[in-house]
Amino acid sequence: MLPESNIAIQTHQLSKTIGTRRVLREIDWSIAKGECVALLGDNGAGKTTLLRCLAGSLQPTAGQVRWFGQAVSSDVRQRRIIGMVAHESRLYQPLTVRENLLFAARMHSLSDPMKRCDEVLDRVELGFCADRPTREISKGMCQRLSLARALIHDPPILLLDEPFSGLDSAGCDWLLDMLRDRRSEGRAICFSTHGDDWKHVADRVTRLKDGALLRANAIGDATAGDALRSAG
Amino acid sequence: MASKLWWLIHKDLMIEYRTRQTWTSMLLLCVIIAVVFSLQVKLPMEHRTATVSTMLWLAIIFASQVVVERTGIAEHQDGCWDALTQYPVSASTIYLAKLIVNLVAILALNCVMVPLFVVLTDVPLLLHAGAMSLVIGLGSLSVAAIGTLVSAATFGQRQRGAVLSLLALPLVLPVLLSASEATRLAATNDLGNQWWRWVQFLGAFTIVFVTLGIVLFGAMIEE
Amino acid sequence: MTNTSGSAGRSPTILGTSLVGVLLAIAIAAVYIAPSEQTMGDAQRVMYVHISVAWLALLGFAVMAICGWRYLVTRNLWWDQWAIAIGEVGWMCSTLTLVTGSLWAHAAWGTWWTWDPRLVTSFVLWAIYSGNLTLRSGLEDANTRARLCSVMAIIGLADVPLVVMATRWFRGVHPVSPDMEPAMRYTLVANIAGWTALMIHLVVRRRRLLVLQSQVAELQSLYETSQTQR
Repeated sequence: MLPESNIAIQTHQLSKTIGTRRVLREIDWSIAKGECVALLGDNGAGKTTLLRCLAGSLQPTAGQVRWFGQAVSSDVRQRRIIGMVAHESRLYQPLTVRENLLFAARMHSLSDPMKRCDEVLDRVELGFCADRPTREISKGMCQRLSLARALIHDPPILLLDEPFSGLDSAGCDWLLDMLRDRRSEGRAICFSTHGDDWKHVADRVTRLKDGALLRANAIGDATAGDALRSAG
Repeated sequence: MASKLWWLIHKDLMIEYRTRQTWTSMLLLCVIIAVVFSLQVKLPMEHRTATVSTMLWLAIIFASQVVVERTGIAEHQDGCWDALTQYPVSASTIYLAKLIVNLVAILALNCVMVPLFVVLTDVPLLLHAGAMSLVIGLGSLSVAAIGTLVSAATFGQRQRGAVLSLLALPLVLPVLLSASEATRLAATNDLGNQWWRWVQFLGAFTIVFVTLGIVLFGAMIEE
Repeated sequence: MTNTSGSAGRSPTILGTSLVGVLLAIAIAAVYIAPSEQTMGDAQRVMYVHISVAWLALLGFAVMAICGWRYLVTRNLWWDQWAIAIGEVGWMCSTLTLVTGSLWAHAAWGTWWTWDPRLVTSFVLWAIYSGNLTLRSGLEDANTRARLCSVMAIIGLADVPLVVMATRWFRGVHPVSPDMEPAMRYTLVANIAGWTALMIHLVVRRRRLLVLQSQVAELQSLYETSQTQR
């Protein structure tokens, strides 16, 4: 078990029931600072629900999520810890690229939103189309912008839901570089995927099956074995 | 909080300015309602004033439903709503921002609707423009307060429009009664005690529902 | 087991049902025995039932809103089960109020319906009850359902007095509290007691059914879990 001070996210007996379906079942899990964890699982295994619970946007039916040792509460300031890239873009299509980022920056009450936006736009290499409406940019650029939106307040925890889907190979490489950068800065990262992309970046892999965790060492197939500390 | 409130409102108005998706259909609807209603009015003046006052408020309430529903839909595209509820912004601030955006739209609607009713029916609704503005301001605010709060219950439902009307229309009945009475009295040059009592009632109603919205919106939108 | 199911309690069948039966029998007998009213004759007798269910519809709404408020505070579905049961029985009382009122109005005023303050208020109460039931039926998740319906019940409870106030300022024709012979008064009391007992009984039974349903659902999901984990 990791020492308390090193844990970015921890769940305790986390369960979520939606309707009569038990989507998550008693999940005990943790992610350390500076760790990049891949979350694998079939469609409907509960990956998105787990990520949304970790992000605090879904209330668990039972159990608890803790960020840096603190239980997720209704205190809105706590939400600065999390940056999330969801399956949907979460961008306002009629606004320009820059306006979308500025809005996010202002919602986080950053001190100099303009400057921060330019920094992040440079980092995701979207500076050239900053003043184009979001609905006119390509899917790959949209994905970058979503990531930029999630990184605008430099969150210590980054959650990504299927970030590689819809990206071409250049885009995947770029995203892998971004994730490695974040990890080297000591940020915790967790992303869900069902491709093979995780092999290049994840320190650890966790499988979800029918809403329950299968430990990496409990998985029989070979892919899980080499996942452990493969990219480290 | 004040600056976040402003930027939330700014964002919605900006989107509306770019797309004009809510205002166009809302204004079109209100013109059609006004014309259809006034076609039915062939009454002597005293009855006509009472009927037109009620019709005006019915039209405002129906058009407001469209406003509230469309602003809700706009926010729910591409998962923006999930992002919004994850920013460090309180639910009350989000409620107030949405309330103000809806109110601005409903007031704009009134600027078209009231003169239109005057032209089509010859009822002097603007006889006392100040008094009328007060009634319209309070009435619109209370309709927006209920609409904004109740529409949050219909997010993610298949027949959201129908459910919204079903839940909101019975609740706004006191607004319909008091605002149309106050409008009738103002249009018949009778700004006495009775008029003032209806305005006070509207004010009390508005305060109750804006407060309820601020307090309960958080419980309404959590997942 | 989660706190949603808890104990369903002992079946209230024999004692409860017989008590309710006796009270209702007294109430109905009283309606037949009570003296005939001078101007309206026998048609007035529907008033005993009408007042009883009208009072229950109002009381039910207040209790439902209190259950909703408790749910929002505690997040315990136990409260919501009561709110569901009361909401359904209350809706029935509200419907009965409108129906019996309409029968009475036809005899007294010669019309089935008129826009009188009390009638408007009863109608709005019925509409809010109906809205709540509709909202419930459109939502799948028990917690979401409980949360939204709780908020709507509280909003409704805040609205009803305002509806009463707004409508009372228009002059109405509905009798408020007419003088009654003592025999009539006793009949009314017997009816209120009888109908209240019946509705409480129905609410208790309905909630018990809900508890059993949630237990079945829980067992089913446990069974499915054991199947998937082989």
